[in-house]
Amino acid sequence: MDDLLADFIAETREMLEASGGELVAWEANPADRARLDTIFRFVHTVKGNCGFFDFPRLASLSHAAEDALADCRAGRREPDQQLVTAVLAIIDRIALMIDAIEAGEDLASFDPDGSDEALIAGLDGSHETSGTAGSEGGTDGIKEGSGPTLHAPAEALLISGEEPTAQSQSTGRRSDPAAAQRTIRLPVELLDRVMSGVSDMVLARNDLAHRLRQAGNQPTIDGPFERLTTILSDVRDAITRMRMQRIETLFGALPRLVRDLSAELGKQVMVDLDGGDVELDREMIETIRDPLTHLIRNAIDHGIEAPSARLAGGKREIGLLAIAARQSGNTISIVISDDGRGLDEERIAAKAVHTGLITAAERAVMSRDKILNLIFEPGFSTAETVSNVSGRGVGLDVVRQNLEKVGGSIKVTSQPGHGTLFSLQIPLTLSIIAGLTVEVGGHRFAIPQSYVEEIVQGTAHALEFTRMGETALVTFRGNRVPCLMLGEVLGVASCEIAAREPTLVMLRLASGDLFALAVEGIHNHGDLVVKPLAPAVMRSGLYAGSTLLDDGQPVLLLDVANIAAQHNLVSDTRTRVLGPLDDETATAAADAARAMLFTDFAGRRSAVRLELVQRIETAPASAIDRSGPRARVVIDGLILPLIGLPDEALTLPRVRLLRLSDGACELLYAVREVEDAVELTEALRPVPEDPLAEAVTLIGGKPVTLIDAHTLFALHGEPPVVAARPRCSIPQGEWSRTILAPLVASAGYDIIAEGEADSAAIGIVFEDMFEVAEALGRTLPGRVIRLRDQPEAPAGCETVYRYDREALLAALAAANHTGEAA
Amino acid sequence: MTGDLLVIAQIAGRRCALSALDVKSVIEIGTVTPIPRAPAWISGITALRSQALTVIDCRRALGLAEIEWLTDHRAIVVAESGHSYALLVDGIEDITTAAGEAGQVPGGFGAEWSRVASGMIETLAGPALMLDLAALLAGPDSARHDIEAAA
Repeated sequence: MDDLLADFIAETREMLEASGGELVAWEANPADRARLDTIFRFVHTVKGNCGFFDFPRLASLSHAAEDALADCRAGRREPDQQLVTAVLAIIDRIALMIDAIEAGEDLASFDPDGSDEALIAGLDGSHETSGTAGSEGGTDGIKEGSGPTLHAPAEALLISGEEPTAQSQSTGRRSDPAAAQRTIRLPVELLDRVMSGVSDMVLARNDLAHRLRQAGNQPTIDGPFERLTTILSDVRDAITRMRMQRIETLFGALPRLVRDLSAELGKQVMVDLDGGDVELDREMIETIRDPLTHLIRNAIDHGIEAPSARLAGGKREIGLLAIAARQSGNTISIVISDDGRGLDEERIAAKAVHTGLITAAERAVMSRDKILNLIFEPGFSTAETVSNVSGRGVGLDVVRQNLEKVGGSIKVTSQPGHGTLFSLQIPLTLSIIAGLTVEVGGHRFAIPQSYVEEIVQGTAHALEFTRMGETALVTFRGNRVPCLMLGEVLGVASCEIAAREPTLVMLRLASGDLFALAVEGIHNHGDLVVKPLAPAVMRSGLYAGSTLLDDGQPVLLLDVANIAAQHNLVSDTRTRVLGPLDDETATAAADAARAMLFTDFAGRRSAVRLELVQRIETAPASAIDRSGPRARVVIDGLILPLIGLPDEALTLPRVRLLRLSDGACELLYAVREVEDAVELTEALRPVPEDPLAEAVTLIGGKPVTLIDAHTLFALHGEPPVVAARPRCSIPQGEWSRTILAPLVASAGYDIIAEGEADSAAIGIVFEDMFEVAEALGRTLPGRVIRLRDQPEAPAGCETVYRYDREALLAALAAANHTGEAA
Repeated sequence: MTGDLLVIAQIAGRRCALSALDVKSVIEIGTVTPIPRAPAWISGITALRSQALTVIDCRRALGLAEIEWLTDHRAIVVAESGHSYALLVDGIEDITTAAGEAGQVPGGFGAEWSRVASGMIETLAGPALMLDLAALLAGPDSARHDIEAAA
């Protein structure tokens, strides 16, 4: 194609994209001169450019639109809804024609629905008969009443009088950023070449760095090399950004899309875009364009209710569709939320059961979250009537597939009556990924970090490594997880010792399936520049690419998804839904309740239901206050009741505490040892004689007492009290400031100056100062701890040696307690 | 083809010619990282500067019986459809000029050789077998390749 023509198409398209948002903004407020100017400039440029080429239809369309807009600018005409719609229709037609020109079609024979003349007439019609001509211009769905006259004629005249200044101001402001940021057009292929060149440079630098390290320190080389490194990383950043595009380019078209859809469906929708400055790989933007459009269609079609329904439901007439993009590390998350009716769990479940996706029995134990996410399963569509907006045969399953193809994922959450939220996660780029290097049998391989859920190290015994036939299983968080030996997968002999104490990389596939990959060691992780592999190597299905380590050694990137598929670890659709469900519903289902197993200070093995356990705390013995009738402990500034302590004094410096909560009250249960979270599979035998025991059951063949939460909270539960940090005054002087103050502060006291001490505070004073103060009759804090300098206490004197930490803390706790009681 | 530059190498004891246009460079072959489960004729990958090269053992790529061939410490780097390969050969002899067109000989070159050879070519350094790079890099026939991959 002619270069000039290609430039014309590219420029026009760029302006079309940029003006998409402007058009809708103009429609919302047709009086907005700045928007009007932008759109005018667009049609004007198109008209001007058409002169160079032989595009009479394009010229006549843009000319007509320009005339109408010029009338508005000159104040001869008031912009109204009909005009806006007619101009939008013309701009759409221009976009279609541009597509046709690019495709090399003959424009003369190009004939979409409706002739150009009808569009042009739409402009004129509204001009003369403002009430009735709307429908001719293709404005179905736009309420006539919603386009009132916007200016009184006098006002219009006034504005037209000011026009020269207004215009020059607005053009001046608008062209400023354009001047500051000059742009040129480049073929993407050239960018790709530069990009890969820079990637190569980075790798060459790594190689050089490695060689320099081997050669030892060479100050004359190291300096320039450092500089090279800095420059290279700058260049790399810049190049990476070159491939990046602001997601704005994608967002720009959305207001228009939303406007058209909502008009078509008779709904009122306001779109709120956020995070347009987030940058994304160009290719990636293209990949998510369709999924995003689809989700928006869905939200408007199914999510947001008709205005009347919204009003009836006590909501604002206008629905809100918020689209926000955020970058976090190497992923971009895009959230599309609406404040519509939300997803109907029952209908989705019923549909899923009806289509055979799940059985009624499975449905009964599924969590709401799981049910909602069924909408991404192939062959699922809840719309009972297929509308021409979102019922096109492509469902959300295609959306998910497309996202998963590029390593992304999608989730949905929804509040009935309040709205739906789709959350998309997509990787930043395809060519640089975060990876983990693992070793087996002397070979190294890389694994994309995105798959890695967790790394587990331990003996084969601890992991309950078992072989079922040819399949290996490990126990991970109480679940049996299939385990692949990387050595066996690759046919590499692995060494004996490593096999007994494998390192497991827990990999979570996009489908939600979890499996373990046993390797011999993990080396490091970092950003890997992934290069494609020769087709003959790819055919083995084990590798996704190759990359070079810092030392220049090439390593292969494992194709985790494919390896899992080869070993039949990817469940089909049906079990995919149900697979991860088991562990989630286990807590909800009564017969598979989970409990936290522990040994208490009496040496009894006990268990408490897992739902009660908030977390496991570790508190220093000094934080425990046992002076009252009920032991207490301060955790995170909260005073909480503590039970389960042995009668005798604690010998351990630290105590493990289970933090239990019934929702309102919290209490801590001191335990000697926390064992594990277990499933209560055996029968529960009630123990009527022990009120604190709900039942006795067998775990692993041994009896375990299950703590009765009801009794526990009835006896000991109390809402947490925020501990007002007790105040403590300390003597003046260097020693107090540097040695005493930190100790007192870490014990949970606020330090105040000696003079400020009131009766509620605790005072720490030196014995000699105390005597002086007493003698002089000075006021002292209500509770006083006296410090002495000598380790040996003089007889009959209640003092604490200033380096006796335990005694000091005990004295503080005691003083604090008497204060509370008082 | 007369006048074209050719790289002459010994493969499995035979004199072979590659078009110099296909050959990017001749490198000292360093450490080769083997690729588990890859076909036997792929020796592994090696790094050339910042590039990863797939190392092809030409003798095995021909599908010849396993004999311990003498291997040159240098390898021929070629590029084919966007991927770079390092070819392991018995020895690299010379760069020379073609003195005629590649032609067939009566009786052919034998099954393995016929698959990868486009014909015999006269060069200034004597006759050589002109190799078709794409055919060589495709490896031994696919049926056999599957067996090897599965093994």
